[in-house]
Amino acid sequence: MSDDHKPSIKPGPAPVHGLLAEYDTPGQILHAAKHIRKAGFTKWDTYTPFAVHGIDDAMGIKMTKLPWFTLVAGVCGLLTAITLQWWTNAVDYPWIVSGKPFWSIPANVPIMFELTVLLSAITTLVGMLMLNNLPHPSHPLDQVRRFARVTDDKFFLMIEASDPKFDDVETRELLAETHPVAIEAVLEDRTTAEKLPTGLVYGLVIVAVASVVPFALAAKARYTKSDSPRIHLIQDMDSQPKYKAQRENSFFADNRATRPAIDGTVAVGDARDDDKFYKGKEGNTWARTFPSQIALTEATMDRGRQRFGIYCTPCHGQVGQGNGMVSMRADSLAQGTWVPPSNVTQANLREMPVGELFNNISYGVRNMPGYAPQIKTEDRWAIIMYVRALQRSQSGSVSDLPPDARASLK
Amino acid sequence: MAKVSKGSNGADGNAAGDNIRLAEVGQSLFVKAAGVGVVALGISAVLGAGEHDGWNRFSHSYLVAFVWVMTIGAGALWWITIQNIVNSHWSTVIRRVAELIASNAPILAVLALPIVVPLILGRSDMYLWSDVNRMLGHEELKHKIPYLNTKFFAIRFVFYFGFWTVLSYFFLNRSTGQDNESEKAAAKTVVTMRRVAGPAMIVFALTITFCAIDLIMSLDPRWFSTMFGVYYFASCVLAINSSLALTLMWLQSKGRLTSSVTVHHFHDLGKMVFAFTVFWAYVGFSQFMLLWYANIPEETLWFKERFANSWGTLSWVLLICHFVIPFFGLLSRWVKRNRKALAFWCCWQLVMIYLDMYWLVMPTLQKDGEPVREVPFQLIDLTCWIGVLALFIAALAYRAKGRELLAKNDPRLPKSLAFENI
Repeated sequence: MSDDHKPSIKPGPAPVHGLLAEYDTPGQILHAAKHIRKAGFTKWDTYTPFAVHGIDDAMGIKMTKLPWFTLVAGVCGLLTAITLQWWTNAVDYPWIVSGKPFWSIPANVPIMFELTVLLSAITTLVGMLMLNNLPHPSHPLDQVRRFARVTDDKFFLMIEASDPKFDDVETRELLAETHPVAIEAVLEDRTTAEKLPTGLVYGLVIVAVASVVPFALAAKARYTKSDSPRIHLIQDMDSQPKYKAQRENSFFADNRATRPAIDGTVAVGDARDDDKFYKGKEGNTWARTFPSQIALTEATMDRGRQRFGIYCTPCHGQVGQGNGMVSMRADSLAQGTWVPPSNVTQANLREMPVGELFNNISYGVRNMPGYAPQIKTEDRWAIIMYVRALQRSQSGSVSDLPPDARASLK
Repeated sequence: MAKVSKGSNGADGNAAGDNIRLAEVGQSLFVKAAGVGVVALGISAVLGAGEHDGWNRFSHSYLVAFVWVMTIGAGALWWITIQNIVNSHWSTVIRRVAELIASNAPILAVLALPIVVPLILGRSDMYLWSDVNRMLGHEELKHKIPYLNTKFFAIRFVFYFGFWTVLSYFFLNRSTGQDNESEKAAAKTVVTMRRVAGPAMIVFALTITFCAIDLIMSLDPRWFSTMFGVYYFASCVLAINSSLALTLMWLQSKGRLTSSVTVHHFHDLGKMVFAFTVFWAYVGFSQFMLLWYANIPEETLWFKERFANSWGTLSWVLLICHFVIPFFGLLSRWVKRNRKALAFWCCWQLVMIYLDMYWLVMPTLQKDGEPVREVPFQLIDLTCWIGVLALFIAALAYRAKGRELLAKNDPRLPKSLAFENI
């Protein structure tokens, strides 16, 4: 057969790589595969335009080892994710996020899942390529013209000459028994054999060198110093053509970016001319009574208790004893810088005029910040009313009880 | 496998060889299952009456059993809808069985009545929201009254099961009608079913979501999770694929569909069981993680109840036995192609789905005004489970016995018969 058809190689005796048989139908190649397998060959393969069902059984191909690669890689990915997160979150840089423990598994699960999938997928792909000896830039079969139709409508079977049972004549007879359309000797490829194209080699070298560059830059940045500002790739609206409050602006004569209010004007809602209500002051002294805007009712008391619960309890505690969660936490850290919050029921605060309490809540005292921006004026007064109730609850005596309750004490 | 895949014209090979009618086997199954069902539910009723707690214990056990069996019924409807949407070929030999299971939708509606009737009458101790006065007392529940009220629920209940009934009977009737149609008409029927399946899937997704919310999530009316419908749906798909594999194995043991359904079809069902084992864990964890991260009291309370005492043990059992162990158990190709191994894991997962339903429903059970702090598993849970399942099977056997178990005239059948799985 090889006489009809000259492989396009250079003249000279090239050794035989194998014997190629061509078939027309999947049925024929299945039959041929069974036949060759029975004859006991080991180095042979079939080539078909599509996956022929049953070819694995016919050729006696064992189940691929690939799933084991995938499994091992998946487990490695899982362990990598666990170790990475444990080390970064709990060991190297412990940092509390959302009040969770340093190392909290639920937060790690998405990464564990992703690394498992990533490593298994990459390993499956790379493992498949490796098990198939890919990439394979050149193969003797590429030189056979009729083999081109393997991607179209023909089915091929090749027994390699390196098979211990291979014999030029006997094997050819054996193949003939399977009724192929044609049998052809495939010669070793001497033109391109086992050599990567030069362009590809240069390309790979350039890619390999370029892939080192980011690491080199990172290493350089780690061990050298620079005075120039950092590279600001993602601007994130960091620099904007605008002025912020309290900044300098040479455009105005006074160099201030913030413009003062025009004399004799007040911004809407800022006309707070009731000193007692807004500042807790009567003349130059602290008010000792609640302003008239505050109704001394059960509803106000409820409101005060609710606001106290929201804004004050974290530091001052549920009943104002100065033992809130924040304070207890700060104490347990024992850093020595914590100024404990006051017990709001203590004597000096019981004596303090409501106006002064109002001032303290509004503008803060010691390390307590001002709450004027967060709590509405009426609510601050309501809180004071509730604080007064708390104070009263701690300074009661038996005589305060109604007579019938007093009787039950005895 | 070899028998079928050899011939390119598989339909003929099948029609000649395969027994595709249940006939007397179906009749005897119907009688047995109905008997078991009535007796088991009778025992449950006696046990429930013995509790003297206004049927509260019975209702909870019954609800667990019901939502468990609903995973199979509703799952079947999803299954045939998706097979029609994607015009799947491999599943054609199995589809009729799934259609028969899905057509149990009206039976599900009847089985739901012991739960739903007291609820609609406002006498359910299990669903706090059935009494509007109890809702009015809580600020956070007041706003849910427009949805969680008995009248609107009644409308929804009729819609869910009405829709499932109409859709499942549409598929079953079209499919059985196709058995005697000409080649051209049969091909047209395929297209008709596919056209309906697309929009129907959207409605189905909404019904299964809200049905799960109404029947299970609303047991604790304070709690809410937008993932809940998907969580229940994951169990539905897992349940139907497991059930289909087991049903087909049973049918083959009775000499039905022996050559039509091959190891390749079981392999695919096994893949689905495996995939939705992972999906269940994925959805379950997604729901948990978001609530865990945000750490908002009204959301985490639900998990707190389930992480305390022996409920916590059950949570771990679910994680390990509903996901980790079956994940590795079902991972191998060999397992999915081995009948006994696959049967084992299908049974395993169906039991796990039951535990999951138990875990969803039971913690709201109250005893003497106090929530149960430990897993209260008792005989009544078992009898309810057996009873509801047996009645479900009885109805299925009754419907199946006179019908053919194979869509014998479906143009996709030859491909399905010759289906090979690598």
